[in-house]
Amino acid sequence: MNRKQWLLGRREVTLALACVAASVLFQFLSPYFLTGPNLITILRNSVELLLVSLGISFILATAGIDIAVGGALGICAIFVGWSVQGGWPLAAVLLIGPLIGTALGLVSAALIVWGKIPPIIATLGLFGVYRAAIFLLLGGSWISGLPDTLGPAVNTSIGGVPVVGVYVLLCYLVGWLIIRWLPLGPAILATGGNERAARLSGVPIGKTKFFVYGFTGLLVGFAAVLYVARYRNVETSTGGLVALDAIVASVLGGASVLGGKANLLGTMFGVLLVRLLQNGFVLMGAPSLWEQVITGFLLLVVLILDALAGNRRVNGSRLVTMP
Amino acid sequence: MRIALKQIRFSGLLLLWLIALAIFAVWAPAFFSLANFTSILQFSTLLALVTLGQTFVILTGGGGIDLSVGGIVSLSGLFIAFLIKQGTPALAAGIAGVLFGGILGSINGLIITRLRLLPLIVTLGTYYAYNGLALALTGGAPISGLPTSFGIVGQNAVLSIPLHTLLLVLPIFLVMMFILAQTPLGRWIYAIGGNEKAARLVGLPVNTIRLGVYGLSGILAALAGLVADSWLLSARPNIGDNLELLSLTATLLAERASSAVRAVWLVHSLPYCSSPHSKLGSRC
Repeated sequence: MNRKQWLLGRREVTLALACVAASVLFQFLSPYFLTGPNLITILRNSVELLLVSLGISFILATAGIDIAVGGALGICAIFVGWSVQGGWPLAAVLLIGPLIGTALGLVSAALIVWGKIPPIIATLGLFGVYRAAIFLLLGGSWISGLPDTLGPAVNTSIGGVPVVGVYVLLCYLVGWLIIRWLPLGPAILATGGNERAARLSGVPIGKTKFFVYGFTGLLVGFAAVLYVARYRNVETSTGGLVALDAIVASVLGGASVLGGKANLLGTMFGVLLVRLLQNGFVLMGAPSLWEQVITGFLLLVVLILDALAGNRRVNGSRLVTMP
Repeated sequence: MRIALKQIRFSGLLLLWLIALAIFAVWAPAFFSLANFTSILQFSTLLALVTLGQTFVILTGGGGIDLSVGGIVSLSGLFIAFLIKQGTPALAAGIAGVLFGGILGSINGLIITRLRLLPLIVTLGTYYAYNGLALALTGGAPISGLPTSFGIVGQNAVLSIPLHTLLLVLPIFLVMMFILAQTPLGRWIYAIGGNEKAARLVGLPVNTIRLGVYGLSGILAALAGLVADSWLLSARPNIGDNLELLSLTATLLAERASSAVRAVWLVHSLPYCSSPHSKLGSRC
């Protein structure tokens, strides 16, 4: 394979080209698109999704799925909001989000590993539970007008680079180190690639799954901290669609829902493309209600294109096995 | 049929059902009133129809699952209400709506069978697309003010049994049970779900049947949308919310199509224990 083929075969490159093409198109349709403030808005809107998608990429790599991340993000955000409201010290506020997130992630893992429930069913059920819990916890009203406790740790910049960006890059670096350099990485990919073979060759399947769901929970909790720091309020709809967006971004980035693949750089570009398209459609005057439709169709289009390009496996019955 | 009866008799579900009834008897004696019986049936219809479709999808195996049913219920309900508001006769609008639901379901089936994609992820995509379309096209507002004559099926009851239970749910369940238990098609569906490879080698039209069950799931979901329209005399863009989860619960509880209807009643009777009227209030 020569250099040119390698370059074009990389998912990141295709996605970067797609981002550029979409930008040109949107600039043509709306003069506001390629302006500094708007591009910064797109990046800022991507922060939470970048974190959640990193986790989802890990989960997809084990041939799992987590629909409940949106609900988990909402619950974490509520607790972060309450701790800010209660005047907790900064360190405690920073810790509580990831702690609760990890706990919720481990709940998913326990249902999947110990309960032997297919991931889609378990997390779809949990999503319903979390959504109801959010309503019960908030009592239908918002947590709003929070003090800027988190500001010093989140809303600053180091040498012109927003510190949030540094956090995200650090998380991706950790993710890359896990996949590339730790024994855990091959274990994750093997679990998704062929669970039976992995089990027979001594990969600790259960522990691996507990790790990926817990790690995702940690990232979701951290995303909740960043969310509260940015908006300083928590609504009942917080986190709502993030699961779909994250799955779309990861699949765009080259992850397979059949497992065994992880492309973190691709996921990053996938997130950017998703947020860029959503932003572009809003600038074109589409009401925000269309966001869900656009993302849903985007997922279908990517799947269909992938399938037509032959980037798939024939046996399609691994994720959910029913009686 | 005798085998089917045996399965029902020994299923743990029946036991679960009886336990639930016993708990209600102690904690909420009002549960056993005739009026409550009627309202449980009234609420069950949507879920019963959707669950039946879901059951067929899951029975055909291959990771079959239909997450988009709720979106189809909402979208086809809106479509029917829109047609009626445009002056289409109710019957024609109903038939068009059911066909529309069949098309939405077949889109799932076509993508899944032609491209060999995972049903889970495909219907997750259409779940968001359909639900999103229902909200976006209406701006979140219901289409209301359907003529009262349209509400005959949805609002009336004979001998305390809602008309749509008698006219739609029972006949459809009987037909589907017959198909599953007594016809070659039923055997084929079980065979495909049991061992896809063997079914293909015997020459069963696996893809056609899979496409068919997704179409059927769409048709049944659209019927649920029709019932909702007729009952509420308005089409709400979120009427199908959560039906995917409830129908999955009911299907997995039931395991067998022959007892699916029991599962539906069970799932729907549980909320009545704690709050007999809150659910009624939230839906109307």
